Amino acid sequence: MARVPIEAGYFRIPDDPAEPPVLLGSKCPNCGEVFFPRRMVCAQCLHEGTDDVELSTRGTLWTWTYCNIPLFGKKETDVPGYGVGQVDLPEGPRIQAILLGRPDDFEIGMELDLDLETLRTTDEGDDVVIYRFRPVGAGA
Amino acid sequence: MRHGLKFEGVAVAGVGMVRFGMLRDYPMMHMARDAGLVALHDAGMTLADVDEAMVGYIQPSSMTGIKAMKELGLTGLPVTHIENASATGLVAFREAAWAVSSGRADVAMALCFDKFTEMSGTGGRGGGRDVIDAPILPASYFALWAQRRMYERGTTPEHFAKVAAKNWNYGAACPTAHRRPDHVVTPEEVLASRLVARPLTTMMCCPADDGAACVILARDDIVRARHPDRPLVRPLASALQSETYARGHTFVGPVVGPSTMTRDTALECYEAASLGPDDVDVAFCHDAFVNEEIEYYELLGFCPPGEGDKLVEAGETGPGGRIPFNTDGGLTARGHPGGPTGLAIVHECVQQLRGDADDRQVDGARVALAHLVGGGSICTVNLLGVTD
Repeated sequence: MARVPIEAGYFRIPDDPAEPPVLLGSKCPNCGEVFFPRRMVCAQCLHEGTDDVELSTRGTLWTWTYCNIPLFGKKETDVPGYGVGQVDLPEGPRIQAILLGRPDDFEIGMELDLDLETLRTTDEGDDVVIYRFRPVGAGA
Repeated sequence: MRHGLKFEGVAVAGVGMVRFGMLRDYPMMHMARDAGLVALHDAGMTLADVDEAMVGYIQPSSMTGIKAMKELGLTGLPVTHIENASATGLVAFREAAWAVSSGRADVAMALCFDKFTEMSGTGGRGGGRDVIDAPILPASYFALWAQRRMYERGTTPEHFAKVAAKNWNYGAACPTAHRRPDHVVTPEEVLASRLVARPLTTMMCCPADDGAACVILARDDIVRARHPDRPLVRPLASALQSETYARGHTFVGPVVGPSTMTRDTALECYEAASLGPDDVDVAFCHDAFVNEEIEYYELLGFCPPGEGDKLVEAGETGPGGRIPFNTDGGLTARGHPGGPTGLAIVHECVQQLRGDADDRQVDGARVALAHLVGGGSICTVNLLGVTD
């Protein structure tokens, strides 16, 4: 059984389950702007050709909400809802992602760490995962 | 770079729509046909008079627009498909207006239809559940924007509820609205409805509808000759923009602020028309989620940044207010099938500018503004006016 990303090319899953996933970004060698996900043309200066970078796994919550409907694509529909947030990483990119926790757990400006949400298990027994953020110190 | 269009010598010849709703027993091709025929009858024309058609939708597959046009006749006219998510209808309108303004057509039709009761469940994104942004649903994107506004501006759920109640009550007065409540909707009722994605409740969110709408544009002398006694409604100007890059842009999923796209698109449209927000008598915006409407009061220039809440508190965007918004109920109540939504907005602009809007009529309306965003990443602003 392995953990497989919902879609390839956005994040790297470490072999050690205790390690956080890593978001795959791009840095423009001309103007220095950093992007997620990876792109070839710089969106700021239009320079062609960027450098691959791996992004920080801790960021700051810019805004959040909590959806009172089951997560689309998730197997267990008894889950009452899920958090969604936009998280600013120190390199610059703002990441939109699922949040782990209940509505009372979130506050704009708080720090969050990246981890993985399991959406479902494939017929081959692999876990389909997507990146998410959780409040620093919160358990998985 | 310039994107604004100023239209010359063009008028609205006819408008038509079917009332939006969850119309499971009404085939999509028949909805398109009926909206087209109502518009042709309103124009006093048949398809033989139409030189060109722009057809738009979000959900159906390739070539469905050609099939829909065959329901109206097979005259050999050029047909072009247009798709810009929720902004599709207004972009089809813009392109049809430009087809006439540029001189290549004397009469051009914009026809849009969609059927969300038959949607696949992927929101038209095509990749199914295994794409990176599939797990997060649209309501949450706009809720994120609402939550940030509450943090920065002190806006409350009561502000959002008041906008929603206004739009529901406008819907009650509009024969083509999906949601026509049989009682006066209060902000308290809106707040008491089920929470979808905080702070948004179900009554603050638009329905996903079925529907069709059609607008026919023509050289103004042709329209004048066929309807000499009718006020002549004209498209004045149009602007269409995608986003400009700024730090904080989220590339995965639709963008929900910090959005300057609506402000920049509106400025361009005002400039093309040589008009400003003070000249506008009635306005329409993308209120798929009602918090958006307050943002657009500011971004479209009807009040300074941060003062949208004051307009809500003073009732300035409702009946008898300084700048009534979404007098047909907006996406909130008139409904939001996707492609046809923009043409339903034009339909209501035309009712208002002809003075035919009955209980919803804005007294002396001379200029109307029609705004939509699509997928959070494209914006169009259009101005229409009237001459007696």
